[in-house]
Amino acid sequence: VRGPRFRRLKIGAGHRLDVKASGVFVLGIGHGNKLLTDLYNCHLTKVYTVKGLFGKATDDFSDTGKLIEKTTFDHITREKLERIVAVIQGTNHKALLMYSNIDMKTQEAYELAVKGLIRPMEKSPPVITAIRCLQFELPEFQLEIHCLHETQQYLRKIVHEIGLELKSSAVCTQVRRTRDGVFTLDDALPRTQWDLRSIQGAIRNCRLKVETELEKTL
Amino acid sequence: APVFQYAGKAARRKDRVFVWGFSYSGALGVPSFVKPDAGWKKPRRIQPTPYRLETEEKISSAACGYGFTLLASNTTDITKVWGMGLNKDSQLGFQRSRRDQTKGYEYVLEPSPIPLPLEKPQQTRVLQVSCGRAHSLILTDSEGVFTMGNNSYGQCGRKVVEDEIYSESNLIHQLNEFDSRVVQVVCGQDHSLFRTKRGAVYACGWGADGQTGLGHYNITSVPTKLRGDIAGVNIIQVSSYGDCCLAVSDEGEVFGWGNSEYLQLASVTETTQVNVPRHLPFKIGKIKEAACGGTGNAVLTEEGNIFVWGYGILGKGPNLTETAVPEMIPPSLFGWSDFSSDIRVARVRCGLSQFAALTNRGELFVWGKNLRGCLGTGRMEDQYFPWRVTVPGEVVDVACGVDHMVSMVKSF
Repeated sequence: VRGPRFRRLKIGAGHRLDVKASGVFVLGIGHGNKLLTDLYNCHLTKVYTVKGLFGKATDDFSDTGKLIEKTTFDHITREKLERIVAVIQGTNHKALLMYSNIDMKTQEAYELAVKGLIRPMEKSPPVITAIRCLQFELPEFQLEIHCLHETQQYLRKIVHEIGLELKSSAVCTQVRRTRDGVFTLDDALPRTQWDLRSIQGAIRNCRLKVETELEKTL
Repeated sequence: APVFQYAGKAARRKDRVFVWGFSYSGALGVPSFVKPDAGWKKPRRIQPTPYRLETEEKISSAACGYGFTLLASNTTDITKVWGMGLNKDSQLGFQRSRRDQTKGYEYVLEPSPIPLPLEKPQQTRVLQVSCGRAHSLILTDSEGVFTMGNNSYGQCGRKVVEDEIYSESNLIHQLNEFDSRVVQVVCGQDHSLFRTKRGAVYACGWGADGQTGLGHYNITSVPTKLRGDIAGVNIIQVSSYGDCCLAVSDEGEVFGWGNSEYLQLASVTETTQVNVPRHLPFKIGKIKEAACGGTGNAVLTEEGNIFVWGYGILGKGPNLTETAVPEMIPPSLFGWSDFSSDIRVARVRCGLSQFAALTNRGELFVWGKNLRGCLGTGRMEDQYFPWRVTVPGEVVDVACGVDHMVSMVKSF
């Protein structure tokens, strides 16, 4: 008997990824779709590397949009950027504790806060758990952002707001997801490897990691 | 296309003052909170989040007392100190009322200048201010210490006059006789402490809890040098707010005296009032700074960790209400993580039942009893572990009072 091995495949997608963004994209095949919902309920953080450019402001916050205004940026230093980034991390840390809906007066809330395990376990607005500056060469800069419940357009908006806070303007040139929960860039398959054998191999490699993570959280 | 410039290369960071807490005493310095400028607006009793206080002058130090605030700037202009809040004991000097020239204001709602009897008003600079329950101290660099306010226990450093009326009095006393220049002044509830450049500590005021540390429980009306375990030790910082006092030496040792009803000094003695400074043998490392609250104390070590002990909400959850031995607050509560592992606590301050800590990144963390919204978190509940206060800027210094707080902030 000859023919393709699999005729119909049910494929489900994990957390959404924009057309303009790139990086790790989790897919579930067949029975794996049930694991997808469980992974979603784990509410694990995703890591993005975001590249930005100072001096321009566009309507959709990325460099392909309609130009709204141009500003100077020679007063910006790495120190100022790091200060703004620290403030963003601080306010988001506060939002993290508030959206998690735990009563702050209990002893267990204190214990979880010490370990850093408090995070919102239901639907919540986007929250950034950690953010830091990787590279800074005027006019370009690169940030690493760990976040929960976000969309890529929200990250581009954050880049725009950083530009506003520094009394200039910024657009986002690249958004790249480097980690989605337990799946990192090393587990991801590049376009040249999108064939059956490597997909099966990748599923086998990740199975253990996914199971331990699900057991830990649920 | 036109290129806009919002900030040039020479843009400077501005200094701002933020206040929050109970406002009906006028201590916040915003008159529209107490008497709204439009008829339909309601007076705001509590300001739960930081509110910017607009001043034209650069404020270098501030202090919060029990219902009043003092702001000081180290300029060489004639007005160097502003005060607002309660003035029933002339703790803000004599504020001449505009309606009746013979009477003074009892509540000052706006930062009003305090005239000081300086010999060289255009040369002397005010270094620091401190406020107690009903008295205030102003430290200058060349003319000693000025005291004003209530003197019924000799806390102003002058002889107690029986049946003296303290309200609407313009008596400001100047203290100059110390062994060397005074470098720091601290007000307790009804007593005053002076630290000199040589490392000695002087005290005057009420002593029934031993907070003057002079070996007796009576009132002292002239600043007298402290002995006990402090004699000969070079003290680099003194702190007090209620009836207990702590001093830090240059070797990182901490000494305490005063009230010990809340186990503040229970590590060395069982008595509840200690009137001679005692060395507190804590093995927690070299101590950089100490802060005393009403019932709890906190110290900051060289590594940037905070240790708390005493009674009340200490910052380690609702279960820890009292301890005689210092307990460390985990640094992960101040934002320390593997990601940002260089976050350290730089300063620690105490109000009557609250604590405030400043990190080296300029973030302000508060915890303790949230009396009339003084924590600034935006909520009315007590905070059992350190919580960040969102201030639009880098916090440089904070002063804690009973029910309000003032912070000096640098804009981004």
